[in-house]
Amino acid sequence: MYSPENNSTRNHQTIRTDKLPLDHSLMPPCQAACPLHMEIREYVDLVAQGRIMEALQVIRSGNPFPSICAYVCTHPCEDACRRSQVDKPIAIRALKRFALEFGGDRMIHAEAETTQQEKVAIVGSGPAGLACSYYLRQLGYPVTIFEAHSELGGMLRVGIPQYRLPREVIDVEVQRLTQMGIEIRKDTRVVSLDLLFDLGYKAIFVTIGAHQSLKMGIEGEESSGVIDGATFLREVNLGFKPALGKTVAVVGGGNVAIDAARTALRLGTHKVTILYRRSQAEMPADPAEVQQAQEEGVEILFLVAPSKIKRTTRRLSVTCIKMELGEPDDSGRRRPMPVKDSEFSIEFDTLISAIGQAPRIPDDFHLRIGRGSAIQVDPATLTTNKPGVFAGGDAVTGPATVTEALAAGKLAASRMDDFLKHRYPLAGPEVRQSLAGDLLPDTIEMIKKISRLEPPILPPEGRARDFEPVELVYDWETATNEARRCLRCGIGAEILFQDKCASCLTCLRVCPYHVPHLDATGAIEIPSEQCQACGICVVECPAKAIILRKPYDRRHIAEELEHVLETAAQSKLNPLIIGFCCQYGLFGTGTLASLWSGARGGIWIVPVLCVAKVEADHILRAFESGAEGVFIAGCGEQCARENTASWVHQRVDKARKTLVQVGLEPERLQAFMLSTANEEPAKWINDFVEQIGGLYLASVIMQEVES
Amino acid sequence: MIIAQQKPLEEIRRMITPYPRILILGCGTCMTVCDVGGEREVSYLHGALRVAGARSGNGTHTFSEYTLKRQCDSEFMELLIDKVSDLDAILSLGCGIGVQAIAERFVDIPVLPGVNTSFMGMAKEWGVWDERCAACGDCRLEDTAGICPITRCTKGILNGPCAGTKNGRCEANKDMDCAWVLIYKRLERLQQLEKMRRYYPPRNFRAIPRPKRLTRKISAEVGESDG
Repeated sequence: MYSPENNSTRNHQTIRTDKLPLDHSLMPPCQAACPLHMEIREYVDLVAQGRIMEALQVIRSGNPFPSICAYVCTHPCEDACRRSQVDKPIAIRALKRFALEFGGDRMIHAEAETTQQEKVAIVGSGPAGLACSYYLRQLGYPVTIFEAHSELGGMLRVGIPQYRLPREVIDVEVQRLTQMGIEIRKDTRVVSLDLLFDLGYKAIFVTIGAHQSLKMGIEGEESSGVIDGATFLREVNLGFKPALGKTVAVVGGGNVAIDAARTALRLGTHKVTILYRRSQAEMPADPAEVQQAQEEGVEILFLVAPSKIKRTTRRLSVTCIKMELGEPDDSGRRRPMPVKDSEFSIEFDTLISAIGQAPRIPDDFHLRIGRGSAIQVDPATLTTNKPGVFAGGDAVTGPATVTEALAAGKLAASRMDDFLKHRYPLAGPEVRQSLAGDLLPDTIEMIKKISRLEPPILPPEGRARDFEPVELVYDWETATNEARRCLRCGIGAEILFQDKCASCLTCLRVCPYHVPHLDATGAIEIPSEQCQACGICVVECPAKAIILRKPYDRRHIAEELEHVLETAAQSKLNPLIIGFCCQYGLFGTGTLASLWSGARGGIWIVPVLCVAKVEADHILRAFESGAEGVFIAGCGEQCARENTASWVHQRVDKARKTLVQVGLEPERLQAFMLSTANEEPAKWINDFVEQIGGLYLASVIMQEVES
Repeated sequence: MIIAQQKPLEEIRRMITPYPRILILGCGTCMTVCDVGGEREVSYLHGALRVAGARSGNGTHTFSEYTLKRQCDSEFMELLIDKVSDLDAILSLGCGIGVQAIAERFVDIPVLPGVNTSFMGMAKEWGVWDERCAACGDCRLEDTAGICPITRCTKGILNGPCAGTKNGRCEANKDMDCAWVLIYKRLERLQQLEKMRRYYPPRNFRAIPRPKRLTRKISAEVGESDG
């Protein structure tokens, strides 16, 4: 019989391909677009496999407050997602929220120990401040947060309405910071940074946000009944209930304007009208939010700007002027131009101006102020003109996103660490090469179109009256199906060994997406930006010259199989049946999960990330180790990929021919492919198990008879 | 390209029976392209032999694997020198040329053919190969519109078509195109139909005796080559 020590010689050349530790994966566009560079591709893939806890781990490792981002992130990742070239981008933010809710994020406990001497002060508790304190505390510094308001969270607390970000989410994160031993001083407005240094703080991070609303610059702006958006939202969010009257106008087209309008509606206003001076296409607010506002009954007047406000006895008479769009301005959007003699008046009870905000830095901080009244910093180190004082967040950038603030806080923490350790800034972690380039029309045509699945939201009629969160969480099946749409950019196949490549053109002929092609010199190229990582060419390459870029993808089937065979050998349950089952979607998280737990006989499942990656070699290996039957269960029609079923049949056919030649019945190897969701793979598999049981019994009897 | 087919597993098992330690040797050129003897097939055959051994209980062999860039050139075989010392046989997945080349280089080790070398041909599509050349040493493709009647006509006739052509198909194999109909159509397209009227006398198979040898090198004494 085969001796185990020969296993090493067996693979002495294949080691070069299958077991290479080289990680050649490229950074996908979603990760490159994320200010925090989160490993989005990895956690979306884990969600697709139903491995939610691991997805949560990946999320937590890249983001200090993922639960907050899961609600309010503006998801630049989705804007960069290359799936939008095929149909619609992956719903990354909603998937993150799913992973957090189902993975048990609330239960995660945070701990940190004090290992450093130097005290650090964080001025302001917005996302940048919280992130900075989180990371500094992890590095072991004693951290104190100073917050002027009665609650922590900065704009998260006073700017974002509750229906978008429930307060308990912030509370949980703040509680975690307290668990980590961060000192929190609420209702404490810092008036002088020097005072903090006098108190013994060695470094200060100034992150006081941009809370000052910009003026509209029109007549009557100071009238009573006119309020600015930031103040309005702050009051509501801190528990006040300003009297708005029956009709409210909101001026502006950004997220604050939409938030103010929807908040006003929830306070009982009869009618809310948004006045925006450009058209819908130029609106900076998140289109989904705009749509939700409109569904709730918010009226938006486009190409309208107020030009004069006049206070009558009880109401405001707002004179508006119609606009038209001219040439593009600095922001790239078309500049609104007033239309002559188009003035008209509307009456409102209250007018909320939400046309933008800027930081307001106390003079006593003695910090150098730059453009837009923001603090001037060195963008690489976040240092200000005062030694030991760092700044970040909206106070430096002007109003920006939560994720950008978190990224600034993270950067500040590592730079402050450098400062306190008296060393040059450490280089960041090695940045992987990014995937660049769009999908070609040829590739797009071959990619299966699968429509985006949105998370459920409350119906408009119910939601406009209270502050309950509007967006709900995915259910398990919808989330995994949505995650399966990911194109897995940047982890495709590459020809690693050009010297082995025999230029046989197999890859070019088998690729379902027509990706490999000949370059001008006649060499075969697999463009990384087109490859869909299906793995078919890797398996079919007769020279084993092609590998997948991620080491895990290269070896997981062989490793899982060996692991399963080892465990099965110990259990001694007969007959031994090995099933290669797709870990994605239904098989991974549904039917087979239950089969697995109630395993009858000796069924052992090798979870595979798409059955197209199962090689005939793997099948033989199972039979060699004493399997009486082997089956492959894939998603068939439900598969997000092309041609997987036909390639599985190719390999099954090849392995069956070999089985016959070694005297085994070909029925011992079966492929099950779902063609509709209604079919019952469990039944097929039960029948298969019975059949194998019969064959096994027959062979045992034959052996008895022979002996 | 040389196209081959893997031998039935029973035959390979019978061949290897006397030899306990066997190197399965792949070839990285034609045999890789026609998918019977590249690194992947070496590994697959290895797996198949292991299954056979495990299942029939008579597997006392130990196998190792290696794939040469090309078995038909002895320089590549130098890479094998340290691997053949403890071998009882080499199971070559090279074509007939490769097997012989290996046998010539390693004179003390039996070399077993793992494939049946079938023909010279090309891939029609993935997984399908067609014969195209018989290496007759007397090419007439100029006259037959680039379509070889020796290999593609079942009868290999030089003055076709025969009376057995029917609707463009061969009488011997109804799934096969009649080579001479193909030739006619292509000549028509090239406006060279007059070539159909020519008579081609039988070829002189004695012109080059077997085994053939071509020399490009100039011989020092004579100062001319025959290649």
